[in-house]
Amino acid sequence: MTESPPTMPDEATVLAALRTVNDPEVGMNVVDLGLVYGLTIEPGRVAVDLTMTTPACPLGEMITDDARRALTAVTPQGTTVEVRLVWEPAWSPQRMSVEARRRFGWE
Amino acid sequence: MPGRVGDLPVALRVPLLILGFLSLLSGILGGLARLGWAVPLPSAQALALHGPLMICGFFGTVIGLERAVALGRRWAYAAPLMSGAGGGVLLLGGPWQAGAILLSGGSALLLTATLRVVRRQRELFTVTLALGAASCLLGNLLWLGGAPPSQVVALWGNFLVLTIAGERLELSRFLPLSQRARQVFLLVVLLLLSGSVAVVLQRAELLYGLGLLALALWLLRQDIARRTVREHGLTRFIAVCLLSGYGWLALSGVILLASGGLHAPGYDAVLHALLLGFVFAMVFGHAPIIFPAVVHVRMPWHWTFYLPLLVLHASLLLRLAGDVLADTRLVALGGVANALALLLFILSTISSVIRGARE
Repeated sequence: MTESPPTMPDEATVLAALRTVNDPEVGMNVVDLGLVYGLTIEPGRVAVDLTMTTPACPLGEMITDDARRALTAVTPQGTTVEVRLVWEPAWSPQRMSVEARRRFGWE
Repeated sequence: MPGRVGDLPVALRVPLLILGFLSLLSGILGGLARLGWAVPLPSAQALALHGPLMICGFFGTVIGLERAVALGRRWAYAAPLMSGAGGGVLLLGGPWQAGAILLSGGSALLLTATLRVVRRQRELFTVTLALGAASCLLGNLLWLGGAPPSQVVALWGNFLVLTIAGERLELSRFLPLSQRARQVFLLVVLLLLSGSVAVVLQRAELLYGLGLLALALWLLRQDIARRTVREHGLTRFIAVCLLSGYGWLALSGVILLASGGLHAPGYDAVLHALLLGFVFAMVFGHAPIIFPAVVHVRMPWHWTFYLPLLVLHASLLLRLAGDVLADTRLVALGGVANALALLLFILSTISSVIRGARE
């Protein structure tokens, strides 16, 4: 186990942590796929809203667990880490990052 | 592990998965007995019920489980429970009608769960998933009504083919898919649906072969696997499984067209190219992400994942060569090697889970 950091992370650190959480089939992380819908960082609490591309996808539970683990590693001990699965608004390819869209041949 | 509110705890999903795998093992033994091998059978009827055990028992249970996990609702787990129980009745030698009733109930619940998904997200791919579940239900009901498995096998096949096609269409949303490609996909689905009905009516069965071939060509052209095969590790492995599976899908269509219908002499070759080559290549590729998602284990990537896939393809080549040469010994040999591939897959999965627990 690595030691917990002493202070709350900033948004960039949280996003960097979420960039380690991949959709294994597509080989791309949840941030670039546009699956991160909301991010709240306050003293003692980090909350992230995640979506899946479809409610037919069984990976939701696993990916939220992975995200929770990644966030716990960058927050001080005792921080409340909340990862919620949300479905509104429905995901669309427009939500992908420029990098992801270029990689999949959009532009 | 904290589950979602209203979801089934992980510990209760494991018995459902085991129930599905009992159908798979009995189905494999039944298949070997069919080819003339003296293997122990859980019941004499496992030989005659090889198809229902594999498709309705095994796949009905695992796909029902996968959908229930996605939905995260307790009632949806009744689908894999009923399908698993139906398979259990069949393999234990119970009255096949009782098994067929349970399997029909399982597929009706799977359809209900899938329609729930359609209501949340009205898209061509969710509708395709629902059509897959509906095909399974219709096949089960016709079978219960007395139709022989060979007559409903294209409906059962469509359960898997349309489920996979729907999932692939979903993933192709990451790519810029043209309106034209979507329209062609819809046409392919209609071809597969009418083809499966044609097999039930035992006329114009070529439609089904056309549908299979057309789907293979669509997937080979549009699937994201064409891009992800350039990645590494698990992502590439999944893509290799998919692309090689599409080859078998195309071949199954071609053989059906060449034999003039879904009957002897091409029957064994068409069904095994489709259900073993295409469907199990898909299973091998997705097990390392679906297993962890369903029962919360870790399956770290390992190059040995390729071994069962290699044996699957080689053994299927052997079997199909036997079919073409009308050499029953070669078909039987290929069949044993097919079983070996599935066994290797189960062993590889178990050892990966153990490795994951140690890490």
